[in-house]
Amino acid sequence: MLKTERILHVKTQRGRTLRAVREHYLREDVSCGSPQCPACARDGKLLSEDLTHYVVPDCQVLQDYQEVLEFNELRGIIIMQTACQAVQHQRGRRQYLKLRNMLRDARHDCVFFPNEFQHYAYLPREMGESMEDWQTRCIYNSCVWYYQHCNARIPVIMVTEREDVIRRYGTETQGVYVLSFKDYLETFWPDLKGIQELYESVRQALCERETDSRESNGKEYQEHLPLEVLEAGIKSGRYKQGVLSVNKHRSQLEAFVRLQGLAGKDTDLQSDVLIHGTKARNRAIHGDIVAVEILPKCDWKGRTGALCENEADERAGDAQNDVMMTGRVVGVIQRNWRDYVATFPSKEEIQTRGKNAQKVLVTPWDYRIPKIRISTQQAEALKDYRVVVRLDSWESTSLYPNGHFVRTLGCIGDLEAEIATILVENSISMSPFSEAQLAEMPINSPENPWRVDTEECGRRDLRKTHLIFSIDPEGCEDVDDALSIRALKSGHLELGVHIADVTHFVKPNSYTDIEAKARATTYYLADRRYDMLPPILSADLCSLLGGVDRYAVSVMWELDSATYEIRRAWYGRTIIRSSYKLSYEVAQQLLDGDLEPLSTEPELKSLSQDSTHLDRLLWAIRKLTEVAQAVRSRRDIHGALELEGVEIRVQLGEEHNIVDLVPKQPLQVHETIAECMILANHWVAKKIWESYPQQALLRLHPPPRQEFFKELKESAQAKGFSIDTRTNKTLADSLDKANDPSDPLVNRLLRAMATQAMSNAQYFSTGSYTEDEFYHYGLALDKYTHFTSPIRRYADIMVHRLLLAAVNNGAKEHLVGNKDLEELCRHINNRNRAAQHCQKQSTELFQCMFFKDEDPEIDQRCICDAIIYSIRTNGVLLFIPRYGIKGPAYLKNNEGLVLSFADDSCKWTIGSLQRLPGQITVITEGGKGTTFCLFDHVTVRIQIQTSRFHTDSIRLEIVSNKPHVTQEQPSVSSAYHSRNDLVREVTRTAIEAQLAKEGEAAENKVGKRHQEYQQTRGNSLYSLLQEIHELALLDVSGQ
Amino acid sequence: MAGLELLSDQGYRVDGRKSGELRKIQARMGVFAQADGSAYMEQGNTKALAVVYGPHEIRGSRAKTLHDRAVVNCQYSMATFSTGERKRRPHGDRTSTEMTMHLKQTFEAAILTQLYPRCQIDIYVQILQADGGNYCTCVNAATLAVIDAGIPMRDYVCASSAGFIEDTPLADLSYVEEASGGPQLALALLPKSDQIALLEMNSRLHEDHLDRVIDAASKACKDVYAVLDQVVRDHLQEVTALIGDRGSA
Repeated sequence: MLKTERILHVKTQRGRTLRAVREHYLREDVSCGSPQCPACARDGKLLSEDLTHYVVPDCQVLQDYQEVLEFNELRGIIIMQTACQAVQHQRGRRQYLKLRNMLRDARHDCVFFPNEFQHYAYLPREMGESMEDWQTRCIYNSCVWYYQHCNARIPVIMVTEREDVIRRYGTETQGVYVLSFKDYLETFWPDLKGIQELYESVRQALCERETDSRESNGKEYQEHLPLEVLEAGIKSGRYKQGVLSVNKHRSQLEAFVRLQGLAGKDTDLQSDVLIHGTKARNRAIHGDIVAVEILPKCDWKGRTGALCENEADERAGDAQNDVMMTGRVVGVIQRNWRDYVATFPSKEEIQTRGKNAQKVLVTPWDYRIPKIRISTQQAEALKDYRVVVRLDSWESTSLYPNGHFVRTLGCIGDLEAEIATILVENSISMSPFSEAQLAEMPINSPENPWRVDTEECGRRDLRKTHLIFSIDPEGCEDVDDALSIRALKSGHLELGVHIADVTHFVKPNSYTDIEAKARATTYYLADRRYDMLPPILSADLCSLLGGVDRYAVSVMWELDSATYEIRRAWYGRTIIRSSYKLSYEVAQQLLDGDLEPLSTEPELKSLSQDSTHLDRLLWAIRKLTEVAQAVRSRRDIHGALELEGVEIRVQLGEEHNIVDLVPKQPLQVHETIAECMILANHWVAKKIWESYPQQALLRLHPPPRQEFFKELKESAQAKGFSIDTRTNKTLADSLDKANDPSDPLVNRLLRAMATQAMSNAQYFSTGSYTEDEFYHYGLALDKYTHFTSPIRRYADIMVHRLLLAAVNNGAKEHLVGNKDLEELCRHINNRNRAAQHCQKQSTELFQCMFFKDEDPEIDQRCICDAIIYSIRTNGVLLFIPRYGIKGPAYLKNNEGLVLSFADDSCKWTIGSLQRLPGQITVITEGGKGTTFCLFDHVTVRIQIQTSRFHTDSIRLEIVSNKPHVTQEQPSVSSAYHSRNDLVREVTRTAIEAQLAKEGEAAENKVGKRHQEYQQTRGNSLYSLLQEIHELALLDVSGQ
Repeated sequence: MAGLELLSDQGYRVDGRKSGELRKIQARMGVFAQADGSAYMEQGNTKALAVVYGPHEIRGSRAKTLHDRAVVNCQYSMATFSTGERKRRPHGDRTSTEMTMHLKQTFEAAILTQLYPRCQIDIYVQILQADGGNYCTCVNAATLAVIDAGIPMRDYVCASSAGFIEDTPLADLSYVEEASGGPQLALALLPKSDQIALLEMNSRLHEDHLDRVIDAASKACKDVYAVLDQVVRDHLQEVTALIGDRGSA
């Protein structure tokens, strides 16, 4: 059956040398992956047809220059198994995973060749032969074999960095060339300057490291312990393992390690470990997985509670003497380095360091990353640019890590460069859709319009039978959901949620699918967006526009017409035609009985004559609202939470200048739509879990840890409310009760604090969790998933595939197993987090740009009302409802002066601060005191603090201890609340219903922030939860 | 060093096999003259020697005697030089005792013991070199030895292990694959009737996957059967040739 040959391998195992014998089977049927080869089976990934040569990197090149090889422009790369294993063994897991991803990536023209299993390509290692020699010999022999295997049609080039290899093998076989990597790049890819620069940069960094290691004088840090020792230490409990996160505001001093793994068992180790100072941090960088040793109790330190100089401290730590567990890093288990954006020092700083002009210390954009030492000749030319830098190493002899320059992003302060910075910092890379991807797309042009195929089997045609309409933000392009409701003959109601059938167009493992998977979500920035799917799908063929036939995946429920109990559910593919595309505002007007839009909206004009159609639409909207309220109240009984977040949309004028920052307005229709979507998601989750208990993609929201609620409870106490956080039900109830009639903002802030204490919701594969862990805390549902926005979330596409397979309407063979799905979930979660950070940072960028041009002394916009939500030892944290900005304000400045208030003015004088629970008092020399309590209103001035290396930041300065009087401020929420009271009376449900609906509104698809594009976005409570979590006041993770 | 990749993206295992392929099997029957039956078996680097005595009268305590069938007595041992580090105790430790029990069960199911009431059949197996799938190799070696001894059996007993890694069932695990800690299953099969003589599994495996793993294992058992059958036929031919020579001489 097999052609086998057995070879002995000698290995060493921990400490002692052990002779281990491994079998090694050689075979002839190894598929080569070249399209030129007539013999091999063509399965798996192939190289492209049109190559002039193949290139084979040797072990050394692959290890050192892998990132150069990662460029998609380099084509025809064959990675030999020998080289691949060298990376795996010598470079560790991270680089190996990158290599594996590169090999899996269909966009990258490279293949893996298992040369060690090929009978004729493999050479056994000879006695006394060094590992490197053997590897080179083996790879060279494989190249020769490969060349002959492809009938000598395509030359094979082996690239190496070793001169002797080039001399020895260079001319041995015709058609197989051996070149140095530099020569190769220069000869074959002379146009790709970027690659050559990167190569130079990596090479310099390597040389640097070599010379450094030779002159190892005076160690700055303790050596890291070897990995075996660490593993043994972690097992025995001597060391703790965790992820290091650096405090953003005191990056020099404070870092925390969140413990992993064993920490769950013993509860006394729940809290984070403080790492104090850079010595103790021992070269670990934010995000690394490290092993820490806990210091003896006498060395324990407390975290600082005061606001710090350049930035706010947002920590709940009470006092200096409140010590916490402190440790020091003894070793790094896994580096988590990514690309960093950095800035060169300004000219004067370079000159002062004349001795070593080659080496430059650059300052990363992210405060948490230490300065990076790079060697380059371009320091002068690049000093006004933001550049991308990669880390190479951090020796114990060096105060700073070594890195190398990769590419530039643009000038400091330039909008495009700053946006690019945000993208790189969140590891988002966006290139335009490639030809290959666009070639897969269906065509829809005026000459050749795209039509639905009515004959396609298994699709229900709803075009004639159902009145379907969509409600979205004004001018929205990608409509991924539509609704229908009708009365059945049996007397029941039929509610339908129709979602764009993206999976019809995006086949598993097509180029589009791979690209969408890599992007995982559509990225929304304040002024632009990066789509997950090509525009032909997202804005046209998948979008459920009004008046055209579209494919959809529908969920339809039969409801009892009196109690709205769900009797039956149906899932499947359908063809629909949406009759009306309404905007939220119009729908709300119709719901309120205001028929004015009929005359103003072109789409509804026909209705003003046709009263039967109008009545049908009005009935449907009203019925939908009722059903949604019933469903909502059922969820409320189980403790669904109302959460609070303030979303700001940036109003852009022409040419991208910012006109205004406007908080979003919530409407009742938002809630109706959201509720329908939650219902659909919930039922789909149940369905796919029943069909695929091991590999369904669901979304969970773990219950929060009780200790995070401490600040919320204390703040509520200050206003005389008590918050019961034991379950989500009690929390929801007590939050509803904590309502100060004189100031609606108090409730909003309390809700925001509650949100903040929550954990993030996440996707997961059901095979990896037990059923009781599936619970969704925020929505109070036992199972939940994302199904309703496949145009802009990849998770929804996966759910669609699962659902269709479950109802026998789609291909089953492409479903992924539990392990792959779990990996995919991790990727999607990670990308979602990046998308949120990126959105938040871009909003901040625009906020700063908005205030930057204004003179704070004169402009009215910079003076506004703020509310105190937290008190620190030297200042207070403020929230500005008008702009949704949170930030610190100092009552005591660097020189120790305090802010004193007399009449309506304030100035810095000598004095002291006295802090009591819930209030802080400024006492000036004269003995006069001014007290600030939690939830007091004050007037602040907004200023911008510019920074060369980092983003600009907003500074708040208290100008008066009285509320700022404006006419616009209170109107929004009060009007809103009164409408709500009406709603509450109308719904007969006994349960405490909705109060502040802004959280809900955000959950809807109110992407008003993106006025320019009118995008839908964030239609779940979770995305809201997470968003608010990001805007967090209390920074639980210690960043 | 990063963890070993037991199954590569291209579908190769660490030693170059694909998921359903067995290691190389070599076997010889009748290696010792003094015993009633004997066989030597290699599956990859796992090497085992099996010896059968009997059926003969019950030795030792008569209390063990069964009046309707023969007693099958097994002993499993591992040579002190069979592993990377020298073993202290060749038999009698917990794993060996367990293995002995398993062998006994397997062969009680396969040998037609009712033909030899009040008798005893001894099967001694020793592992000379251990490289994964010890139980399976022992069963296969013992089968050949029993056949060599001329004891009637219902069918060959063929055994093979199977594991489950990255959603793929792997047949005939090697030591490296066993040591990874994934689920592993040992199956002894009577291949003609598809009856299971013994099924044992370690560590957790989800029920949904069990069928696929058992299928992989039984497929492997049938492949083993083909090899064993060939070995027996070759041996017979050899022996008859010898007898024939003698007869003609």
